[in-house]
Amino acid sequence: MIVAELKPLEEIASSIKGYRNILVLGCGTCVTVCLTGGEREARVLSQELSHPRFGPDRPDSFEVNTIERQCERDILKAFLNVPDNCDAILSLACGAGVQTLAGVYRKLPVIPGLNTTFLGALDEPGIWREQCRGCGDCMLAYTGGICPVARCAKQLFNGPCGGSQGGKCEVSPTVDCAWALILARLNFLNRLDLYEKIIPPKDWSSDKDGGPRVFRSGNPPDIA
Amino acid sequence: MSYFKVNDKCNGCLACVRNCPAQALRYVDRGSIRTIEHNIISCARCGNCWRVCPEGAIEFEYLLRGGWDEVVSTPLVTCSVCGKPLCTEDFRNTLTKQLNQEIDPLCAIHQGVRSSRAWLRAVQTGKSLEEASE
Repeated sequence: MIVAELKPLEEIASSIKGYRNILVLGCGTCVTVCLTGGEREARVLSQELSHPRFGPDRPDSFEVNTIERQCERDILKAFLNVPDNCDAILSLACGAGVQTLAGVYRKLPVIPGLNTTFLGALDEPGIWREQCRGCGDCMLAYTGGICPVARCAKQLFNGPCGGSQGGKCEVSPTVDCAWALILARLNFLNRLDLYEKIIPPKDWSSDKDGGPRVFRSGNPPDIA
Repeated sequence: MSYFKVNDKCNGCLACVRNCPAQALRYVDRGSIRTIEHNIISCARCGNCWRVCPEGAIEFEYLLRGGWDEVVSTPLVTCSVCGKPLCTEDFRNTLTKQLNQEIDPLCAIHQGVRSSRAWLRAVQTGKSLEEASE
């Protein structure tokens, strides 16, 4: 799922300075689960931003609301109530939600409260780790289910570099070498033959290098 | 109760059932009656049913807003002075066993000096509450 983290309070306070009435809008899906942008976090953030230490230019009032998904234009249009006196929205969604919101409420500034960080998985309670870079050309079938695009700092496709020591990456002793994991897994699966095959240079046009990507579902609604 | 609500425009066309990606909707024809059923656990609340309904019959806001279902009801211990709810009886029994002493049903105000930190210390260290309060 999409993982995001709260921006520093000072940065948020600075970006909403001068606006009088703020709607703090949580998002009910990914960022609720990763404990950064749900209803509870929206309430806590609105209280923290009300603190006098943020000076006389801080907003007078904060409304708090949460909608199931900020990344769906029609749901926002149909079900989100923005107070009449609202002069800016502080969104606790991922970047997709912030931009969708800005597209729907074109007259209002939409300010992000989170930094969208990665596509990750819950590793242990409270800890999410990056697992997928969304490169658009999944190669997990050949790498033992461990992604060298997301988990190898150099995004190598044909084995570890010289910086792999004792199963750890030279980036940090706390970071596993993805290729050490891949080799162990392929060995366990008795599929080291996959490691013997040379993986050719990746076509990055399916990644962001090909410009913003669009996915169109092949199935139109069946309402006949 | 169901949070999947339709208004009286629903004509049972099954567009919602056919287009539910989570297979959270189905229909059952019994005798002369067709019933549409919804499974809240399977439902991804994606809104596809609401989007495709040609009659505008689906009141999706109920699925967004939800409601509160009762899970369990447990007897409470209240402060013997002011009546403020403190904890459940079962929780007090658990604490009593862990601390090996009876717990007075008193709130923080009427308990006087015993802070919540002292309770926590007592549970974590196995000391008596008096020792942990020192």
